[in-house]
Amino acid sequence: MDHPGFFSLAILWMVLWGAIGGAVIHRAYLARDLDVTAARTVGVAVGAATGPFGLVPLYLRTPTLTRAWQALPWIGVVTVFLFAFRASDPDNVCFTSGTFVTSQLVNGLIMGTIYGLMALGLALIFSIIGIVSFSHGEFYMIGGMVVYYMTEVWAPGLGPIAAVIAACAVTFGIGAAFERAFFTPIYAGKVERPNEYAILVTFGLAFFLQYLVQGLSGANPVKASPFFELPRSEWPAGAPIIETTRSNIKLFDMISISTPRLTAAILSVVMLLALIWFLYNTWTGRALRATAQDRQAAAVAGINPGRMNMLAFGLGCMLAGLAGAVLVQAFSWLPQTGAIPALRAFVIIVLGGLGSLPGAFIGGLILGLVEAAGAGCVPDPTRAAAYLPAYGMIILTLVLLLRPQGLFGRKV
Amino acid sequence: MISHAPKIAGSVAAALLVLFPLVYSAGNYDFVMHLWITAFYYAILASSWALLAGYGGQFSFAHLAFMALGAYGAGILDNYVFLTSLPTGTCTEFGLLGTNIVFLPPAGTGDAGACLTAARATWPEGATVSRFPLLLQIAFGAIVGGGAGWLIGTLVLRLRAAYLALFTVGLSEILRAVLSAEIWLTRGQAGMPMSPLFPEGITILGTTYGPAAKLPAYYVMLALFFATLSLLLWVARSRIGLFLRSLREDEDAAEALGVDTVKWKRAVFVLTAAIAATAGAVQGHYVGLITPNTLVLLQMSLVIAMAVIGGLENLVAAAIGAILISFALEFLRTDFTILGLEVDMTTWRLVFFGLLLMLTLRFLRNGVIQGALMWIERRGVGAETVAKRRAAEEAK
Repeated sequence: MDHPGFFSLAILWMVLWGAIGGAVIHRAYLARDLDVTAARTVGVAVGAATGPFGLVPLYLRTPTLTRAWQALPWIGVVTVFLFAFRASDPDNVCFTSGTFVTSQLVNGLIMGTIYGLMALGLALIFSIIGIVSFSHGEFYMIGGMVVYYMTEVWAPGLGPIAAVIAACAVTFGIGAAFERAFFTPIYAGKVERPNEYAILVTFGLAFFLQYLVQGLSGANPVKASPFFELPRSEWPAGAPIIETTRSNIKLFDMISISTPRLTAAILSVVMLLALIWFLYNTWTGRALRATAQDRQAAAVAGINPGRMNMLAFGLGCMLAGLAGAVLVQAFSWLPQTGAIPALRAFVIIVLGGLGSLPGAFIGGLILGLVEAAGAGCVPDPTRAAAYLPAYGMIILTLVLLLRPQGLFGRKV
Repeated sequence: MISHAPKIAGSVAAALLVLFPLVYSAGNYDFVMHLWITAFYYAILASSWALLAGYGGQFSFAHLAFMALGAYGAGILDNYVFLTSLPTGTCTEFGLLGTNIVFLPPAGTGDAGACLTAARATWPEGATVSRFPLLLQIAFGAIVGGGAGWLIGTLVLRLRAAYLALFTVGLSEILRAVLSAEIWLTRGQAGMPMSPLFPEGITILGTTYGPAAKLPAYYVMLALFFATLSLLLWVARSRIGLFLRSLREDEDAAEALGVDTVKWKRAVFVLTAAIAATAGAVQGHYVGLITPNTLVLLQMSLVIAMAVIGGLENLVAAAIGAILISFALEFLRTDFTILGLEVDMTTWRLVFFGLLLMLTLRFLRNGVIQGALMWIERRGVGAETVAKRRAAEEAK
């Protein structure tokens, strides 16, 4: 970075005016007896994007804060941030190389799809049972482990699809059994503080599962071979639009995608479509959504909420297992692998709004893009890698402070 | 009648703990002392977490982050700040009450300590250089931890249950990333060395103990443990304890009844964070090295498991649980072979504790130790009450 001082000053300027905007605009709306629900957030965004130039008119006019008012200033904030970053670091590869940026974008979207899939499981569990599972990362890890053992050790002949299905079955089974054994007292009203109980008991499960897997399979990393390998080819020959090597696809000679990640994303999308079909077109799926919307009304209509709880927890864990199952071919796998993805899933569901299924998926895409940008654009590559989990946390902190209900959530 | 046996047993146990290093003399003395010191350290963490979670209802996963902040706060002073009797002229320094406080550049930004070494070579005989005083280091660590507690307490004011837990998990992961990545200051994964608790040794009652001796460290940690427990018990039994429990039960109702929820929520974060930070600073000095790995989720899981298995709503029970579990963890380390399978106990003991944590939560909601204490205390009370009532009715 050429001008770190300028960059720090710009950030400080944005934070300062954002803080002032949040406090002052809220007060202005309060004083004029207007709707204040969005005032603070809009104040922060306008302050950070324009400084006093936008805040003063906003303070004087206090317009009705429509959806456009809630969204546009944030685009301004991102733009100002990008300009400040560009001015302080003009030689950054993210501004000089269009190829690199497109590659990062595509890779970010691919990873975001898989993150979204995993977070969807957590959102499903929250929307039905109303708890956040702290063992989500462990189901992700177990999904990957099952695929590794199926394809490499137990039944190499069956192929990766059978292994992925086995991983789904195992994670669904563990999840459903755990729900029956440990969550039933919550529904019976026998637990004084159900939220805290659920946090601790799923945390205990995470601890248990992680070391159980370590005890059974050892603490050394394992690596599954890629599900599919491509032949080396070019199409059309000479000036290729698609160029493939064994583990890589290159589009237009600029976007490079690794095949394991691509197959993982494709499998995720297929599974996602299957899940959407299940949720919208089968009786059980509709019953699940009905329970999420209104538990008592669903019960009156003849849906057994207990059964739905089991199904939701099992399915949620299965989605985490699935994300692990398709990603095990892209990364090396350890019993501790689940911690960071679990953290990511938390960030995503808070960003999308706890319990919102579309929110979880879109949140996943956003986080995928932010992480790709963080990993690619932050100067000092060793630091960029070390801080990878931190980018999500910055989003989490901002969302919790500015809009605790998330992008699509109901008011908390 | 409520039995006083647990209280009497507790006092006897406390006295025994004080006498233990003097009477114990087996060959594994240092090892056993080390186990006790570690056990006290965990007991401090578990009982302060029990106040935060069990009384205040704030299920924070950042407790070890506060601990690490305290340890690193003390460690940075220990490594980079020195007191000298003469000005060096080249280092960053300022004079205060006749001594010079010298700030060395951090390890990664150049040759650490070069300016001090160069200056010392030119000084006359008798000029002294000493580390920043240990007590002030620990106090600084506690202030850093408490300040972070205030900040986090403020940030999480609006967050409940799941949000709070998610936020604090993430926060401690970030802190771990920062501590591992900012090698210039913290030396990353290699860890930051710290001077022993008594660098020049100490003489107690005519016996001189070297810097590596376990006995002085044992008494330091024991004193800290007793002080912490007394403070926590006093808080829990005072009006503040009631305020905290009202926060836990129903924040809105408490606020409606005039409890300043913002103030007490912040206060309980500051208090428990400062306690954890103090424990971290002392433990860092005792072990002699602090690394970001003390922050891994496993350590937090252990503290939670200790507090839950002991009894979340009873600080003494949480502390006893911590001591028992940290000993059990140590003694369950021995691998064994069963049916031709070698069992790696370093892993399987944790599987066992995970299971124990889940089963305790499911079936013994008050924790194992607290449950046992209550059972002893209240044994026969029911029958006694029935008998009294019957006697009163007969007398009519």
